[in-house]
Amino acid sequence: MIYILSFPAAFLLVIVFLLPLFRYSWLSIHASSVITGLEVIPNNGANWFRLFNDERFWTDYMQTLRFAVSSVSVELILAILIALLLNHRVRSKDLVRALTLLPWALPTTVMALGWRWIFNTPYGPIEQIFKFLKLEPINILSDPNLAWISTVIGDVWKTTPFIALIILAGLQTIPDDLYEAFRLEGGKPKQAFFRITLPLLKPYITIAVLFRLAQAFGVFDLIQVMTGGGPAGSTESVALYSYLNAMRYLDFGYSSTIMIASFILLMFACVVCWFIIYNSKRLFQKSKL
Amino acid sequence: MNNTRNYLCLILIWSLAPIFWQAYTSFCTPEALIYPLKNISNRWTLENYTLLLSSNPSFLRYLLNSTIVGISTTFLTLLLAIPAAYSISKIKPIIAGWVRLFLLSAALFPYVLLFLSLLEIARALNIGNNLFALSIPYSALNMPLALLLLSSSFKDLPIDLEEAARLEGLNLWQRLRWILIPLIAPATASTSILIFIFSWNEYPIALTWISKTELLTLPVAISRIAGSSVYSVPYGAYAAATVLGSIPLLLIVIIFQKQIVSGLTKGAVKG
Amino acid sequence: MKRRFLPLILTVLGVTNIFSYRIHASTSNNNSDEVTILMPAPFADSTEVLVNKFNKDHESKITIKVTRGPLETESVSDLAISSLLLGDSPFDIILIDVTWLPKFAAAGWLEPLNNRVESSQWKALAKGARLGNSYQGKIYRWPFVADMGLLYWRKDLMKQPPTTPAELIKISKELQNKGIVKYGYVWQGRQYEGLSCVFLELINGFGGDWMNNQGEVKLNSKSSQQAVSWLKKLITSGVSPKAVTNFTETEALQAFEIGDAAFMRNWPYAWAELNKNKSAVKGKVGVTTMIAKESKYSTSTLGSWGFSITKGSSKKDQAYKVISYLTNEDSQKYLFTKYGYTPTISNLYKSKNLLKVSPILPILEIALKNAKPRPQTPLYAQISGVLQKHISKIITNKENVKETMEAAQVSTERILSSAGEKR
Repeated sequence: MIYILSFPAAFLLVIVFLLPLFRYSWLSIHASSVITGLEVIPNNGANWFRLFNDERFWTDYMQTLRFAVSSVSVELILAILIALLLNHRVRSKDLVRALTLLPWALPTTVMALGWRWIFNTPYGPIEQIFKFLKLEPINILSDPNLAWISTVIGDVWKTTPFIALIILAGLQTIPDDLYEAFRLEGGKPKQAFFRITLPLLKPYITIAVLFRLAQAFGVFDLIQVMTGGGPAGSTESVALYSYLNAMRYLDFGYSSTIMIASFILLMFACVVCWFIIYNSKRLFQKSKL
Repeated sequence: MNNTRNYLCLILIWSLAPIFWQAYTSFCTPEALIYPLKNISNRWTLENYTLLLSSNPSFLRYLLNSTIVGISTTFLTLLLAIPAAYSISKIKPIIAGWVRLFLLSAALFPYVLLFLSLLEIARALNIGNNLFALSIPYSALNMPLALLLLSSSFKDLPIDLEEAARLEGLNLWQRLRWILIPLIAPATASTSILIFIFSWNEYPIALTWISKTELLTLPVAISRIAGSSVYSVPYGAYAAATVLGSIPLLLIVIIFQKQIVSGLTKGAVKG
Repeated sequence: MKRRFLPLILTVLGVTNIFSYRIHASTSNNNSDEVTILMPAPFADSTEVLVNKFNKDHESKITIKVTRGPLETESVSDLAISSLLLGDSPFDIILIDVTWLPKFAAAGWLEPLNNRVESSQWKALAKGARLGNSYQGKIYRWPFVADMGLLYWRKDLMKQPPTTPAELIKISKELQNKGIVKYGYVWQGRQYEGLSCVFLELINGFGGDWMNNQGEVKLNSKSSQQAVSWLKKLITSGVSPKAVTNFTETEALQAFEIGDAAFMRNWPYAWAELNKNKSAVKGKVGVTTMIAKESKYSTSTLGSWGFSITKGSSKKDQAYKVISYLTNEDSQKYLFTKYGYTPTISNLYKSKNLLKVSPILPILEIALKNAKPRPQTPLYAQISGVLQKHISKIITNKENVKETMEAAQVSTERILSSAGEKR
């Protein structure tokens, strides 16, 4: 009887999460594009054939992975440092915490525009500093090698507070007695971090990393507004590519194929990542011994 | 201790400097932006703001639109999530594990991948260009988090309490209405704030569901601000828009930071 | 606490509901003769005077409402597409680029204009301006402004501009060896749409075709390989700077404007920029049509904007009147004089007043005659992306021309087949 209460919510979840997956699978084996007049026509797996041979998709996939892995790892390190700092007793801690949280709360598109201005050539502050130091302008957003780094910076800036919070919550569950005992046994503070803090934080790190990895893998807002995928496609993510296929190229069949494929590849990446973290203790200890 | 303070300052600079830079830019004339070090008489201006507020539709309109979507989404999500969370908290542990796994993976799902199907739904049901309809997908996207947070706080309530109420002769609705819902108010509050912030900030779905200028939500409207001059990108106006768009969230974060923190951490821990 | 909250929330919702309903009604129930046009920001600015004048003259009947789109062309296309995909498009007229037309028409979003266009009107158009407005035999767009690729040259450095690729390299080398200019030729080599435009002119100038009239892709042809090899040679021989692979129109113009280069490929707008006082080459610039091999035809890539009526519009008659007004002779004269927009009506090329304004008008006329639109397929955006990527690879790295163009050919064909194009 009670379960009836969950039906409306369940219905909504099915419509919004499961229905699309079925719809995409269906569309991915059909041609549905501007050529077919947006009708759905079977095309014998041509989408999948194209996907496996589509250099642009695989480049985008590697770029997305590079973006996700580098931003999440930088975020994690920064977040642990910030959490350790905030775990100290400091004056006006609440205000500090609220202010560090601010980047997370702002709309991504808003600050993506901000970054576009900050990295602008030749008037943005970064380029101005270079000019002041009498260095050559570096054209951040039109240089493929620098542009993706600038998107990572934008992402790190925005989401580090989120991870920091979760890790802070984890830190607060560790009783001080443990450190006390460790010190009495003659351990050094640095060792305490690796022997006590990190292992006990592992569940928190796992959840934060998995969550962030999935989010970073689907990065869209930031890149669409900040670089539009350019220069020369060097910052294009799979989500942006599938968006472009649907909304700019009007090829829904192929767009769906990309979405299904990136979903599968994401699950794969998550499993690998989870495996690494799960086994990290063993790996870590082995390397110590 | 002193060291800690220095580091904290560093963190604050890192998180606030870009925002301050935007605020500074928003008050600058274009000349001042091009020659930041030169001594220019007309360095400061409010023109960027007057431009935004006087344009048609005014920028305030977008703030209002986002607020409408935020409130209606929060309301709709809670309406569906509270009863569902209650029933989830009563499921047998084995099934509950599966439910939780499903919810967790839905929460992890990069929802931008859903936009095409959602667009088709909007088209089929003819609910595009409607701010209230926009809260349907938003509410679904927030549902996993809301269910996880609320069901775990239902579970934390002592069972005896509900038993006692049942013995008093209160029916299910009365128990929920008078006893259980008031008790989970803190969790409801932090869930609501998180939902509100999400809906305020959401971009890809608003981008595909809304095409009428006067119905755009803030994130989409901001990305569409066009320049006043043909050859230059209007960074002054962009910056003013970022400042105006950030103020409401700055207030929310400062006022509700306890709820946000508890919502985020609980969401992670319980999941 | 909850008790007080619920009514509060309900009231807020009720108020906002009424409020947004009102707004909704006000836009859909607006003045029945208001015609909405979506234009990229620069066009919205340049037509402002014309629109205001129209609205004053027709005060009681039709009024034009311009929606100022974003600055970047692609974002305007995204905006138009998302509104059309959603159905119930808020625009009656959309100003569309020549490369979007097949896509919009194939999607069934545009109203055919065949019944509205009079044959005298059609005949009055310059030949090149008639291109790129039709899809599968139907007219969907009325041209507003034409744009063609041109070769800019330095009158002070040579008597005659080159007409063939070989001549261009020869003259450049001579000038460079004498130390008169730093570079010979600057063009658009960055991986973006401009590179496709550069390529289209060249492949035709070498006697080939990107996509022929039967819709066959010809990227692996001899002439295609020759054209790309020539581009590569420009860079390896030093006629073009290495940095040209990162040039857009702006960078090319900058280099030419300060006197660094003997030749430049650009659009008509560059003429006015080069003759401003700040330009180092003011008065020393000539304009001519694009180079081509002996016995092959000089070709200019056609870039043009035109007005289309959306199928969902309820004011098609009024919309057509608006289009006729914005593209009539007077409007075109005004836009050419004030903004240098290339006219589309052939008569205007004979106008003495306009010739006084700009001496390059005769060259524009010839270039427009030689103009060729990019492949007119709804999938143009994707296949252009593929081409840009492959050419960019060739001119930046030292990748093999033949193999890379072969790969471009295969990828292009794959895109066409997976989208359901029949072979």
